[in-house]
Formats: sequence, C-alpha cells, structure tokens
Amino acid sequence: MAAGKKTKKTHESINNRLQLVMKSGKFTLGYKTVLRTLRNSKGKLIIISNNCPPLRKSEIEYYAMLAKVGVHHYSGNNNDLGTACGKYFRVSCLSVIDPGDSDIIKTLPGDH
Amino acid sequence: MVKFLKANKAVVLLQGRFAGHKAVIVRQFDEGNRERPYGHCLVAGLAKYPKKVIRKDSAKKTAKKSRVKAFIKVVNYSHIMPTRYSLDVDLKDVVTADVLQSRDKKVTAAKETKARFEDRFKAGKNRWFFSKLRF
Repeated sequence: MAAGKKTKKTHESINNRLQLVMKSGKFTLGYKTVLRTLRNSKGKLIIISNNCPPLRKSEIEYYAMLAKVGVHHYSGNNNDLGTACGKYFRVSCLSVIDPGDSDIIKTLPGDH
Repeated sequence: MVKFLKANKAVVLLQGRFAGHKAVIVRQFDEGNRERPYGHCLVAGLAKYPKKVIRKDSAKKTAKKSRVKAFIKVVNYSHIMPTRYSLDVDLKDVVTADVLQSRDKKVTAAKETKARFEDRFKAGKNRWFFSKLRF
C-alpha cells in the first residue's frame, strides 16, 4: 500500500499549504482549542504530529470521527509542526478553521 | 463539521463525583449563559447502574437487581467524553433547567428519570448505556 510512504515532495507541499493557511486563514494550535473547535463544529481539518501521545491522538481521532472532520497525521514531530506553522514553539495538534487561500482541505483529507 | 453534541447523545462524565458514569444529553447550551459563560449541557445519567441479572434469579430478585439511580447535572463540555451511542429517551419534559433550583424539584425529576431509565433497561435496549464502564 503506497499510502504509508510519504515522499519528500508531498511533504513539502503540505508545508507550503500550511504556510498559506497561517498567512491567510484561521487556525488554532493546541489540544484544548482543537477539541473546542471540534465540539462547536468549526474545525475543518485537524493535523496531528507523529509524537502526539497515543491516547490523546485517539481521542482527537474519535472526536473527528463524530464530527466527520478529516485528520491528517503530519510526518514530523511537534517541533517540526511548530516550525511548519512558523512558530518558535512546539505544536502537537492544530485545527484549521478557515483555509483562506489555501487548498489544504481539498487536497489533504483522503488519507487518514 | 457535524455537530455531535446534541440531545439524546450518550456521553461519559470525566470529572466530578460521577466521573466514569454514563449519561445522556438532555439539553445543550452551546453558547453558555450568564452564569456559565462556556458551552455546557444538562445531562441525566446513572448514579447507580443496574446489577447483573442471571437466569437463576427469582422475579423478586430480578426486580431488585434492575433498579437504577439517576442523577441530573449541568456539566461543562470539556468534562464529558461524547460517544457514538445515543439513547432515545424523552426526558425533555422532566429534566429542565429550573429543576436544579430546589432540592425537591430535583428529587422528583430524578425519580421520574429513574422510572424511564428502568423501563428502557427492562425492555432490553441500549445495553451499552446500562453497563458499567470498567476502568
């Protein structure tokens, strides 16, 4: 199954899309706000880093399943995800509320 | 993007005296109100689960074992864990926001909820809701 292998090219494009979301869209960073956006059905895409604790990861996935929102497992740990967001801190999970000019919502959920 | 915290959703309480107990959302207040400026909901749940009934039990014993104790509570969204289950019990007329004002009103509402829960349990439906969550 080719779904597991992440090529360098798609990884960079995710970073680019995330950058665009940071610039032009609305998003929240962090576990508490991610759950909040899922509860009030504002979140459109959830991105989780690969070193997110498994209980927390499955909890977010369960909420996303109930809310029918796509979850993307970022291939990189929370440091990398924070850097990809242009922040100087770690980000373990983030929620995209409004993608702005980016097409991250159309191109990403498909993979879980 | 689907709202899932709606009435009749089965949830598990995460904090407080009833942590680990299952409840059903009766009414939700997504925007909060003045006393509670956060998303919260009115839930009715099981304070005491019905005990396990076996075939050997006499009718009197079955009746005793099938009793439940209900509670009514207002709880913050961040203190519940929603599940994929739901419980279609009509509690809207019994459990209202003003029930929690006075003790007697709460007790009568809890008794009525208990009766409805017991009917549902004896009908053999919603098995998951009436089984204790082991942790």
